[in-house]
Amino acid sequence: MYTSAVIVATLGITYASVPLYRIFCAATGFAGTPNVGTGRFEAERLVPVEGAHRIKVHFNADRSETLPWTFTPQQRFVTVLPGETSLAFYTAKNNSKQDLIGIATYNVTPDRVAPYFSKVECFCFEEQKLLAGEEVDMPLLFFIDKDILDDPACRNIDDVVLSYTFFRARRNQKGHLEPDAADDEVQTSMGFGGYEHAPKAETRNEKK
Amino acid sequence: MSFGRPPSVNVGFKPTPPERGAFPLDHYGECKEQMKQYMECLRDNSSTSSPCRLLSKDYLHCRMNKGLMERDDWKNLGFEDQSGTAVAKEPPP
Repeated sequence: MYTSAVIVATLGITYASVPLYRIFCAATGFAGTPNVGTGRFEAERLVPVEGAHRIKVHFNADRSETLPWTFTPQQRFVTVLPGETSLAFYTAKNNSKQDLIGIATYNVTPDRVAPYFSKVECFCFEEQKLLAGEEVDMPLLFFIDKDILDDPACRNIDDVVLSYTFFRARRNQKGHLEPDAADDEVQTSMGFGGYEHAPKAETRNEKK
Repeated sequence: MSFGRPPSVNVGFKPTPPERGAFPLDHYGECKEQMKQYMECLRDNSSTSSPCRLLSKDYLHCRMNKGLMERDDWKNLGFEDQSGTAVAKEPPP
């Protein structure tokens, strides 16, 4: 009697082990399981926190000298509530006589706001091709996560600056588009200007 | 991304890509009208975003209609609290 109960129980556990393992992996991210469904963009996070302290987001636009575009923000700043998705616009105009591909990087200051600043959709990191003489509006949908209200380091944050820098794009050895500028220029545009960098793997391997 | 992170830093600030990637470019200015209305609203409200959320919803709705944005539920974009669309302004005759 007892033995058969043990056998049945063991059989049951072996059947259940597959879904149980999956649940374990999803919860802990073991063996590289991607974190889906527990992200920052859940619908519940995208609700404005009424009555919270407003944060002013300033917009800055830069471009590399090698890129003959005019790139400006359409609004100097927007005051937003935490959790509220907001729209902002930049305008880019290609002043040259050729079609050019640009690629943008961005940076958020002060650094402690960066983990809370989330972009739902924007125009950065992917190539943007503008035909000669074309002018286009580039929107950006972002929000400041409401967890910023719980962070003691961010208690007195009133102003946030979001900077975008447009570079010319070129293809690197792997065929990926990347900014056509010196490495330190690109890193400065992302806020890493003050840091020492180890040489990239490509340059290290080249020297051998 | 092949360039989006500093080569020597393993942890710390990662310029995280946007959740839905990049907006396709609106080469023909198809949603320019909604954009203008939104910008006017921002100007009238001293750049406070909350009163203009309905207009930003309109803009995104226009983008979805013209195939410039993937269709999605409003609650996934944070606009569940906004119902309907703003009254479109009549262009001057």
